[in-house]
Amino acid sequence: MQALKRSLEIVKSSPTLFILLLGFGLFPIYTSITDLPFWNDIAMRIMLLGMAALGLNLILGFGGMVSFGHAAFIGIGAYSVGISQFYGIDNGWLHILFALLFCAVVGLAIGFLALRTKGIYFIMITLAFAQMLYFFFVSLEVFGGDDGMGVDRAEFLIIDLWDPLRLYYLIWMALFAVCLLLLLIINSRFGVILQGIKDNESRIEAMGLSALRFKIIAYVLSAAVCGLAGALFANWQEYVSPDIMHWSRSGELMIVIILGGLSYIAGPLIGAIVFFLLEEFLPELLFFIAPNYSENWMIIFGPMLIAVVLFTKGGLMAIFHQIYLRLTRRQGTT
Amino acid sequence: MTKVILELKDISKSYGALRATHKLNLSVNKGDVHALIGPNGAGKTTLIKQIYGSEQPDSGQILLNGELINNTSPSVRVRKGIGRSFQISNVLLGFTVLQNALVAELARKGEAFRFFEPAFSNPSLLSGAHDILQGVGLLHQAEKLAAEISHGERRLLELALAIATNPKLLLLDEPMAGAGAEESRHITSIIKSLKSQHATLLIEHDMDAVFKLADRITVLVEGETIASGTPDEISNNSAVRKAYLGDGD
Repeated sequence: MQALKRSLEIVKSSPTLFILLLGFGLFPIYTSITDLPFWNDIAMRIMLLGMAALGLNLILGFGGMVSFGHAAFIGIGAYSVGISQFYGIDNGWLHILFALLFCAVVGLAIGFLALRTKGIYFIMITLAFAQMLYFFFVSLEVFGGDDGMGVDRAEFLIIDLWDPLRLYYLIWMALFAVCLLLLLIINSRFGVILQGIKDNESRIEAMGLSALRFKIIAYVLSAAVCGLAGALFANWQEYVSPDIMHWSRSGELMIVIILGGLSYIAGPLIGAIVFFLLEEFLPELLFFIAPNYSENWMIIFGPMLIAVVLFTKGGLMAIFHQIYLRLTRRQGTT
Repeated sequence: MTKVILELKDISKSYGALRATHKLNLSVNKGDVHALIGPNGAGKTTLIKQIYGSEQPDSGQILLNGELINNTSPSVRVRKGIGRSFQISNVLLGFTVLQNALVAELARKGEAFRFFEPAFSNPSLLSGAHDILQGVGLLHQAEKLAAEISHGERRLLELALAIATNPKLLLLDEPMAGAGAEESRHITSIIKSLKSQHATLLIEHDMDAVFKLADRITVLVEGETIASGTPDEISNNSAVRKAYLGDGD
């Protein structure tokens, strides 16, 4: 009974998130009715990017730590699958375990050093570590170096992923678990202190709590979530290369979070959906207006992002939140 | 017998050629309010920072309850029994007043490091947080954001958060700064009512409050102690009158 009550409280705390998760869960039914299986592929990409962005948002949106190197953890997660397979380990659960473990260990090492700095120094150190890892994997010729390596979809004991729909629901379940875990953490005592650190670190220290300890643990958790996204990404793409951990990918994660709203748990998922829809449709739109510029869709996207940052003051979720508040107030007065 | 809570031995700190504190010796007993006064730039806040641990002295010893704490971080010193209010209001502005108190209560009980337990719905924590706010008369503002209450109320909230950790030593850096006359009187009465529970080191420019509260006063000028004694001794000290109180004799 207590667990049920707590579950309902969790769902109530972020209805948008659960509506989105339900939407993703039912989406393959829609694509099979409309015979558009291609969209399942897009939805998987959105879920994977959304999952990694959710991981980063634990420290960015709720801890105030601007890490510009989280793509490195997606890469480590993806290479955990590729390298395991290279050495004959085909069990997908083991791949995920390795991805979580390696990302946690690397996250601990980077966090331990980088979190002693703040502001621009923290951004630069995380970026530097990520670029070091990027070039490390570029130099690993045995695993394909710059060209990367092919990956077979893993076996998850009784589930093998030859059917894309199985992969879809594996990714969906992982996303569901990540959302639940992050919701629990953010609303927990640990999560509240983390948000307190974002608000005023010196006050948290003045209460006798070591902010560094909380920040390191949040960083490790965040890295592990990105690693999970990376491991599933390798299965989805059936290929992994250092490109996945390039700094521009870290920027993409931040764009997704800022677009969706970094103070909201559902923000990164909304951001990922809008980002991919724009990536899909803006080139087509540009093609009609200026055919030679259709590849440069970022020309339109850039000002849109600036507008979101300037006018919503909290991303797209802030707009939804305002609409929701107005509707509930109107209902209250009628 | 009076118990010495804080003891400073020959504390010196310089920033390049600027001498912030020089061979300072000071002790604060349990139940006493020891005020530090002096003109701007005398080194009062720098001394508080060294005791709190956000600055390290170049030389000298800081003893809390007889234990040397020179090489510990601020959060460790707080756990050892130091509570601090800052010169500029330092509360969680994005949290409600009640949530500020709840976070303090979580910290005091050592229950902050829990990943799946909800933060704000535990009855025992809530009751503790209510007591914290009740103690400074802020319960009526519990549901307001700390950013939305008045400056004086924020000073009160900060005092409440400093006291909430049950410190042995309370470092109060201008707790009345910017507060109105009524709020200053309220803060003074709270500090007075709680003084028996702690040793208090107070920096304050409001001399009325200082002379009402202090059991001992130390006067700093350019990082050095020029006088230390009871309020009567200080007010009658010619060096102090000359250097600080502006007596033209």
